[in-house]
Amino acid sequence: MSDRLRAFYGQAIAVLLALAIGAVIIVLVDESPVKVFMTLLRGAFGDQTKIAGTLLQTTPILICGVAACVGLRGGMFNVGIEGQLFLGGFAAALVGFALPLPPGLHMIVALIVAVLAGAAWVSIPAYFRTRYNTNEVVSTILSNYVAVLLTSYFTIFLFKRPGGWSETPPILPSAYLPELFSFSRLNWGLVVGLVLAVVVAWLFRHTARGYSASMVGSAPKFAEYGGIDVKRQGFIVLLASGAIGGLAGGVETLGVHHRFMEGFAPGFGFDGLIAALLANGSPIGTIFTALFFGALRSGSLLLEVDTNASREIITVIQALIILSVSAQVLMKRRGDSTAGERRWKF
Amino acid sequence: MSNAFSTTTADRPAENAVELVGITKRFGAFTANENVNLTVRRGEIHAIIGENGAGKTTLMNILFGLLQPDEGKIRIDGQDVVFGDPAAAISAGLGMVHQHFKLVPSLSVAENIFLGMEIVNNGLIDHAAQIEKTRELSERVGLKVDPTERVSLVSVGIEQRIEILKVLVRGARTIILDEPTAVLTPQESRELFQTLRRFVADGMTVIFISHHLEEVMEVSDTVTVLRNGKHVATRPTAELTKADLVRMMVGRDVSFDRRPREATHGKVVLDVRNLWARDERRLPALRDVSFTVRAGEIVGIAGVAGNGQTELAEVLAGLRPASHGEAFLNGRDLTRLSPAAIRKTGFAHVPGDRMIRGVDGGASISSNLLMGRQYRAPWSRGGLLDWKATDRDAEAMIKRFDIRARGPHDTVKRLSGGNIQKVVLAREFTNDADFLLIDQPTRGVDIGAQEAIHSEIMSQRAAGRAVLVISVQLDELLTLADRILVLFNGHLMGEVDGNEADDETIGMMMAGLQPGEKERELVS
Amino acid sequence: MEILANLVNVALIVAMLRTTAPILLVALGGSFTTKAGIFNIGLEGQMLVGAFFAVLGSIWSGSALVGVACGVAAALVFALAFAVLVVSFRANEVVVGLALNILAGGMTISLMKAIFGTRGSIVGQGIVGLPKVQIPGAKALLGSWAPLISGYTPMVYVAFIAVPLLILFYKRSRLGLYIRVVGEKPEAAEALGISITRIRYTASLLCGLLAGLAGAHLSLGYITMFTENMSSGRGFMAVAILIFSNGDPWKVLVGCLLFGFADAFSLRLQTFGGFPSYLILAVPYLVALAALFALSYRGRPKIIRETAETMRRLLSADKNPA
Repeated sequence: MSDRLRAFYGQAIAVLLALAIGAVIIVLVDESPVKVFMTLLRGAFGDQTKIAGTLLQTTPILICGVAACVGLRGGMFNVGIEGQLFLGGFAAALVGFALPLPPGLHMIVALIVAVLAGAAWVSIPAYFRTRYNTNEVVSTILSNYVAVLLTSYFTIFLFKRPGGWSETPPILPSAYLPELFSFSRLNWGLVVGLVLAVVVAWLFRHTARGYSASMVGSAPKFAEYGGIDVKRQGFIVLLASGAIGGLAGGVETLGVHHRFMEGFAPGFGFDGLIAALLANGSPIGTIFTALFFGALRSGSLLLEVDTNASREIITVIQALIILSVSAQVLMKRRGDSTAGERRWKF
Repeated sequence: MSNAFSTTTADRPAENAVELVGITKRFGAFTANENVNLTVRRGEIHAIIGENGAGKTTLMNILFGLLQPDEGKIRIDGQDVVFGDPAAAISAGLGMVHQHFKLVPSLSVAENIFLGMEIVNNGLIDHAAQIEKTRELSERVGLKVDPTERVSLVSVGIEQRIEILKVLVRGARTIILDEPTAVLTPQESRELFQTLRRFVADGMTVIFISHHLEEVMEVSDTVTVLRNGKHVATRPTAELTKADLVRMMVGRDVSFDRRPREATHGKVVLDVRNLWARDERRLPALRDVSFTVRAGEIVGIAGVAGNGQTELAEVLAGLRPASHGEAFLNGRDLTRLSPAAIRKTGFAHVPGDRMIRGVDGGASISSNLLMGRQYRAPWSRGGLLDWKATDRDAEAMIKRFDIRARGPHDTVKRLSGGNIQKVVLAREFTNDADFLLIDQPTRGVDIGAQEAIHSEIMSQRAAGRAVLVISVQLDELLTLADRILVLFNGHLMGEVDGNEADDETIGMMMAGLQPGEKERELVS
Repeated sequence: MEILANLVNVALIVAMLRTTAPILLVALGGSFTTKAGIFNIGLEGQMLVGAFFAVLGSIWSGSALVGVACGVAAALVFALAFAVLVVSFRANEVVVGLALNILAGGMTISLMKAIFGTRGSIVGQGIVGLPKVQIPGAKALLGSWAPLISGYTPMVYVAFIAVPLLILFYKRSRLGLYIRVVGEKPEAAEALGISITRIRYTASLLCGLLAGLAGAHLSLGYITMFTENMSSGRGFMAVAILIFSNGDPWKVLVGCLLFGFADAFSLRLQTFGGFPSYLILAVPYLVALAALFALSYRGRPKIIRETAETMRRLLSADKNPA
């Protein structure tokens, strides 16, 4: 237990350090850090609409974060969640506007297709990773660019809304994810994300398959010796991670935009990966880190209105957090120097 | 600098090339060298011999500045010296050829030899000059190499020549060789010995570490025997017989008592037939090995480390392919099965490299004990893990195997080596497997835990299991095994009944000699 | 007709050489870290800050050269941060590299907003671009073929000249040799008293130098402007090239020319063929992926390092039995 506590303190110190460096940078761009942080706070939690807005931003980060957790726990670095999200988002939109089905069923089918699209998109890097040991970091990053361009092409050249700008026709209301409150677009997607985080945590902890997958992630040689098919397990893990990435896209389409469009999800996949890293691969921890990043994102909207700082300053803060977390190894005892590598094995 | 033989004995008064006085080195609670004295006279070939873990390599690493002694002094040519790093030792005229070569495969022979002391002209490395000097040196000392060849393409024997040339080009007058023949064929070994003879004839000094009696007798002028980190004797080789050496190496002081047992005549459980396998360098590491293990029997595999034991264990466990032959366990050929399928045939395995293969150090004891049974009741039902049952089971194991831990949730890497080994044993001994493969049962384990582990192995025998124990500690096999097979250079040298076995016979076989053999003949 | 076809071919090759230059520079930079045994996914970010600060320096000083120096300095700072975290703190290279890329993206946009009050891009504002270099006598010598060697911006020449220089560097210089040794067999370097840490720092900084030049070429070369994320994955493509080229300059050149060709050819298709631009823009990434997959069964320095790491752990486990 004290191990976990120490790890938590470590993360907390790292976050504070990053915020401090962030403050210095804010001063450098000629703003007051206090004002920026207060604006962020107000923008994120100022009133119920703002809180709902924060939760709305949290949703895709959370789902993408869970996708990243699955990969990290199983020893795979899925940096292609962004691309899987685009594919899933587009696939859900396609089902949403082109395939009329009864309400409810329509939504479920659209989400399933989004999941399949995400899994299919990652299956090629996954195959080469497990069969030929091709570096999955590079292949998934590059496939992000292709995914964005491919979905843009589909949207603009094949399924453009008549008279509209680069977007698909709106999906039918029968495929909508219902909204939770009248004053916000916050929808059941958040619940999907929360349930998913709990379910994934439970799967890793309480099923034989989850145990096998996490053993492959933390000690591959031991897993091989113990009779686990390491390659097969790795393939399944990447596929599952991609499927959840696709789900994130489906939820965005059906819950928020109700269509697919260019620039559909700015960086949610990367935010999710960072949230998962900060939570050390724990899906439950990712709920909190995703909320943190969701609040930063939501607060940053007010930032450009009330201060001279750009909203990308939060990206800077996020990156600094991850850098200082990654450097934590130094704070640990020397004998533990492999801890950093082990935690983020790939 | 490249003139290795510029210093002749005539330039210096006759004296000792190397003196080590009262060297003590501890690693935590473990003492690798205890008050060791070593005197090497100039111009001799001095062999240092002892079993695995006797402290030979540690002593040489201290002499070469790779390790710092806790106590004791080093004298080179009669001068007190302190070597903070190998560079200091090199400039004092020492050179070391490590057991594991440190050559860069993609570089040429000449580049490797001059690495760190390149010949630079106008800021650029002068390859032509390096090649020329390499050729010159190689011809002068009679170590033939092709200076332009890439190291990745040369044989192990040539690699060793390159390492020796590397040492010579740095002006070494005293050369330390750590188990130089371990990787060589008998022909290559013979050539090496001739080279070493020429070196000492030219006034150089050679120290070489070995546990092969035969070659020590053949090539050395003086022998120093180490045992358990202590100096046993230093004598002129001519005064000794192989039997003397074996007696001094093995000693009697740490011997375990042979465990009492009842004779059993179970059915054959493991049947290995004409098994061949290759090592990482794609060279044959197991050559035509055949043996059986019966139910209720402990078969021991003795041998100096690196004679095919690891490969044998890995092939049986499905972690390395066999290049030829079969190994039947309960009638199924293990060489054709995956590790998972092998486990299903009734196979349990205590691996030799326990921190990498045997456990996940970062996980709890419970979690480690679960490996391999996560799909079986009572640990799981319908794919769902029952952690309560697993923890209860772990607690029972902790009690039964006397694992010193705070509880089933304790992280494995916090435990001592002996207790980690007990975690592995607990998992593997309770799988109801018909066959147990135990690789180095007590490596890095304290004496108390060793006794407990041996008792567990004996009770597995009593329960009718077929047990194969691989150990580099001969005493352990004499304590446990019903039959002892000796591996040398991938061959089975022979079989000895455990009740009649003695150190000397087995020691001979470990050195590649048939018992009672008079002729000096190395088996290839 | 024949003459026209010929001209088009020359123009295509010229376009290819131009598009090859930035990715070649950054990939050659990555060659240092690859050879030193570091997986550097942070090239993208180094290139991006290089591009941004080159523009900044150019505006402030009114000199393209000072601009280039600023870009290189910024990339060096990022490279140093990478080295500190990865080499000294032993943090995970992928995590650090990705985080630095994200930092570069966020930082350049924030600074753009803070300094210019704009989003999206910096155009005009007095940016001084790099001049085109006319080789004297090229026209007289080669006639219509002259554009093949003359009229590029300086970084194009730097990139292509760097290839033989790097070959020479790895083959004939001590530092180059030591970088290779550290990447391939760290134990050998250690045994000979070569400091692995120092060599890896040096390699990281050399990498930053070339990545900074690549960035400066992007923003001060053919177009004098900075746009958000203008490196657009070139750093990642460079990493893909490095994986299958193993960092060898010749192979890096071949890989980069392949990308340059794909880029130039797809641009041509876009102009003449009427193919959808989005699909054409995807071509370089697809080429990178295809090459990565097709050549992935080959040996990589990564594997060697992992094996060495396992060996070391094995040995240290043996040494400390308790």
